[in-house]
Amino acid sequence: MHIRVENLTHIYNQGTPLERTALHEVNLEIEAGERIGLVGPTGSGKSTLVQHLAGLLQPTTGRVLLAGTPIHSKGATARSLRLQVGLAFQYPEDQIFEQSVFREVAFGPRNLGLDETEVKARVHWALEMVGLDPARIGPRMPFTLSGGERRRVALASILAMRPRVLILDEPTAGQDPQGRRALWEKVGQWQQETGMTLIIVSHALEELARLVERVIALRAGRVVADGPTREVLSDARLLRDIGLDVPEPVALLQALRQAGKDVRTDRLLPAEAAAEIASAWGLRRAGA
Amino acid sequence: MHPFIVIENLQYVYPLESGEQIVALRDVNLSIERGEFVALIGPNGSGKSTLARHLNALLIPTGGTVWVDGLRTSDPHNVWAVRRKVGMVFQNPDNQLVATTVEEDVAFGPENMGVPAEEIRQRVDEALAIVGLEAYRQYPPQMLSGGQKQLVAIAGALATRPSCLVLDEPTSMLDPVGRRQVLNTIQRLNAEEGITILLITHSMSEAASAQRVLIMNAGTIVMDKPPAEVFAHGAKLQALGLSLPPIVDIAHRLRAEGLPLPPTVLTLQDLVKALCTSA
Repeated sequence: MHIRVENLTHIYNQGTPLERTALHEVNLEIEAGERIGLVGPTGSGKSTLVQHLAGLLQPTTGRVLLAGTPIHSKGATARSLRLQVGLAFQYPEDQIFEQSVFREVAFGPRNLGLDETEVKARVHWALEMVGLDPARIGPRMPFTLSGGERRRVALASILAMRPRVLILDEPTAGQDPQGRRALWEKVGQWQQETGMTLIIVSHALEELARLVERVIALRAGRVVADGPTREVLSDARLLRDIGLDVPEPVALLQALRQAGKDVRTDRLLPAEAAAEIASAWGLRRAGA
Repeated sequence: MHPFIVIENLQYVYPLESGEQIVALRDVNLSIERGEFVALIGPNGSGKSTLARHLNALLIPTGGTVWVDGLRTSDPHNVWAVRRKVGMVFQNPDNQLVATTVEEDVAFGPENMGVPAEEIRQRVDEALAIVGLEAYRQYPPQMLSGGQKQLVAIAGALATRPSCLVLDEPTSMLDPVGRRQVLNTIQRLNAEEGITILLITHSMSEAASAQRVLIMNAGTIVMDKPPAEVFAHGAKLQALGLSLPPIVDIAHRLRAEGLPLPPTVLTLQDLVKALCTSA
């Protein structure tokens, strides 16, 4: 589903002493099936922007179009388009309210009016996607789960809606590394099969480097960079300038360059950086 | 003198409505000295948060004993004394902010302890300065971003002047700048104020900054070593679902390529130095 953001400005508490402009004249085009990372420091407007993409906020000025239709227009078309955008919040455990994990994940699909067999199938599928065993975890009360497990339940309840646009706001905060890897593998695979649009808000630049093809950087409510992942995430000056960390492999390669070593610095992952150093140190041929 | 925290054969079991029981902690034995900086890592559901909640008597053992500064946490008379000694900062700051402005929120703890008004003001100023939120003191906490709220929660814990801080993934929702601020603050509190730190984290780079790393799995402590020794066990960590810090990962890969690097490489500076002297 094509998404277009036009001159979007969002001002919180307009006309009060606490007035704050969270987004300032943002323009974006997102094609169907793109995998996008959204980065920026605390307070840069990332969460506000994704809430607009899901139609949860009214713009102060400007608008958001889903497949050409303004997201806040009245009528069945806009409503059904909004239902196809799934947003998992920054603290997704706050959205949990049901008595059992099964009922929690089934809530959305039931509201879609699906029959019980389909609801059950979707719940099982969604729990497996997030690495939870439906037979073991399904009957549990959500509050008996650990913080990380509750986040996965909340994510499963979004996945069970089978959105065409999936937006994850800091989805892996509080997840152990194995859980993260497994989740990304499954979500990435599903994205490829369905051609859904995936938008990930994250500070975990290494994860973005593995998963997304385009990175949009926000600072103080404005888009300050928008380009291929390798380009944006190896631009150390830009990242430091907007208050983000440079991925450690890039920082290491830059330090080596400063020490007079002839190495490329646009290597975002540990394996890529190790290969680059190995070839520069004559341990193996470049590209091997 | 006795260690600050002593845990003996700690077990914690909680019942489910179905009558089934879940063993969250078993055979945990641990002692932490005053002034130590300890990191606690482990997969989701391994019992890290359950263990943390035993350190200020939010949970009472169903088996075994926890002593905090010589006080047994299962004795009801000790609960408040224990909570004054051990401050907690949780994963989700939204659940720990209680007041309508940032400064009132930070003042909540010392107010409840009956600290005189003048001293409360001083403590609030100091705590907000440490986390860098002086400019937000009049803000309602819900106006702040997730990261800023976590800083308020940390300031609130600091304002009660605990001798130990237990932080349950305090940085997992922060941006890199906030993360560094918080980690630097934790290190400073440890180094300069002598505050004992137990830091629960999924960030291996953060764990590398501690003096000692504990690894939990399936409700018990399976490794307890200095960071360099923990990260030397790359395969074991991966088997537990954990990963290496990126720099340690790169160093491992280069050793596998035949580059002789010392086993003590933990930080970027270590690795640059080792590489520049090896070629």
